[in-house]
Amino acid sequence: MNRIFIAAAIAAAFALPAFAQDKPAASPPPSWQQGKPSAMSESTLHPFAIEVTGKAATDLPIDKLKVPSGFKVEVWAEGMPGARTMAQGDKGTVFVGTRQLKEVYAVTDRGGKREAKVLLKGLDAPNGLVFNKGTLFVAERGRITRYDGIENQLDNPPQAKVVVDNLDPNNQPGHFWKFLALGPDGKLYFNIGAPGNIVMPTYMEASIMRVDMKGTLETVAQGVRNSVGMDFNPKTKELWFTNHGRDWLGDNSPNDTLHRLSRKGMHFGYPYCHQGDTPDPEFGTHRSCKEFDKPALKLGAHVAPIGMRFYTGKMFPAEYQNNIFIALRGSWNRTVKQGYNVMRVVLDDSGKVTKYEPFLTGFLLDEKADPPMWGRPNDVMVMKDGSLLVSDDQNGIIYRVSTTK
Amino acid sequence: MRFAALNAVALAIAFFFATVAGAADPSLCVACHGDGGNSTNPAVPSIAAQPRQFISTALYMFREGYRKDPQMTPMAANLSNADMNELAAYFSKQPAAPARHRARPENANAGPQLVQKFHCTQCHGGELQGLQQMPRLAGQQYDYLRAQLSGFRDRKRGDLDGKMSESAQGLSDGDIEALADYIAGLGARQ
Repeated sequence: MNRIFIAAAIAAAFALPAFAQDKPAASPPPSWQQGKPSAMSESTLHPFAIEVTGKAATDLPIDKLKVPSGFKVEVWAEGMPGARTMAQGDKGTVFVGTRQLKEVYAVTDRGGKREAKVLLKGLDAPNGLVFNKGTLFVAERGRITRYDGIENQLDNPPQAKVVVDNLDPNNQPGHFWKFLALGPDGKLYFNIGAPGNIVMPTYMEASIMRVDMKGTLETVAQGVRNSVGMDFNPKTKELWFTNHGRDWLGDNSPNDTLHRLSRKGMHFGYPYCHQGDTPDPEFGTHRSCKEFDKPALKLGAHVAPIGMRFYTGKMFPAEYQNNIFIALRGSWNRTVKQGYNVMRVVLDDSGKVTKYEPFLTGFLLDEKADPPMWGRPNDVMVMKDGSLLVSDDQNGIIYRVSTTK
Repeated sequence: MRFAALNAVALAIAFFFATVAGAADPSLCVACHGDGGNSTNPAVPSIAAQPRQFISTALYMFREGYRKDPQMTPMAANLSNADMNELAAYFSKQPAAPARHRARPENANAGPQLVQKFHCTQCHGGELQGLQQMPRLAGQQYDYLRAQLSGFRDRKRGDLDGKMSESAQGLSDGDIEALADYIAGLGARQ
């Protein structure tokens, strides 16, 4: 009996690998499903794709958009498929980056009408933009470049000069598109995200870094899964940034977060701990949330915060001064959708959050529909005149919020 | 052979009008894609009742060079984004003809398991009816499906985000044959 069993086991041990070689292994599920537990295997939740040809504002329910009393919202420019991060030049040009496409657009004002044109082509996810002293800095997936004097030659842009290269040596799927912000120290701050939904990052990943003009790199924050929005507090000069939490932990967990970097080297928990207090079911087993720094604010589960800027303009009422505006581009990873708003965050003098409320709403049409929204706020930018621009990469449109007085 | 000759004539006519008109005219598309976008040529995909966003995305990919095809690349070259949106809206609203393809019994049996193994419904939706930027596969032309699956596996078929190329890596030639045969025989939801 025993001998037969052993013989069968030996035969099986040899037979199985031979069988496995005949049949190639099935491919893994799509990368956005990484970390999906078997209990959710029937879930049909999925990310939404942008309209790569853009949409005309006349084909959209723009009149659904709502802002608080005393404000108005209007279409400012359109015809820029995939429009995301915005930066304003000294002469008023608004530069617009993309992530899924390869273009950077320039929007100029021609007698009260905006004209949008493709400025740079063929770039690799040119999502990060900073304009400073005549130079446009562009963060692509793997490098940061500079275009000097570009506003004087919008029809014939200069060649890119490299600030730093080889930021994406593996060329694998992951959160490797970049936001770019200029620090008060003159250095460029940017993110390198996590290589998947919930995956152990390698040494440069899941971080916020900075680079000086000579190309010297430093890590300033760790444990940051995917930040695609940051700005410096105009009063304290501290870096604040948004962060996307992991997917597939349910409708209400974890929250996406807003962070305040009060010292270099803070660690915000990924992949061990989410939202400062929720251990990861897998990676959190042998670590404690007490080891890690806490977020400044929980923004809601899966709401996908992207652009965030402090309001420093002169147009809005005084109580908006140094508030933070945050664009929520999601949610997709919950059965009942929420988000798709521009939010307002009010801080007290110590930098503590005292209020978190919707500012621009109306993109979300039906929280149970697929898709649930007709547009997606992506970045916010304060114009020199104090109005607030909001980009919508779903449709390739930029809206402008201003006061009615 | 006969299809190829017919196709060449249809295409020549379509080119002529595309150059003259230079705009979004669905009658140019149906020269190859069939009446109302229901193809009768096994190598040419049906575009009737495909999701609107899938059609505009496909046209964009041809114009921008992400997908290359000797017939479609020049057809898309001069279309504006607005033209593409207009064509996409039009063909997404055309009714799909019932599938005429009959899968071989062994492939009809093996099909559902292969669909599950390669996670097809995760993006293309239950019953492979497509959704948003994802094409409906059910009832699509057999030769076309086979060519696309091989193209993705061999990394010769353009793919905006790389997801379909990744998904096709484990396919054997036999899997491709069986999947294309099975899926072509499925009906489009009416």
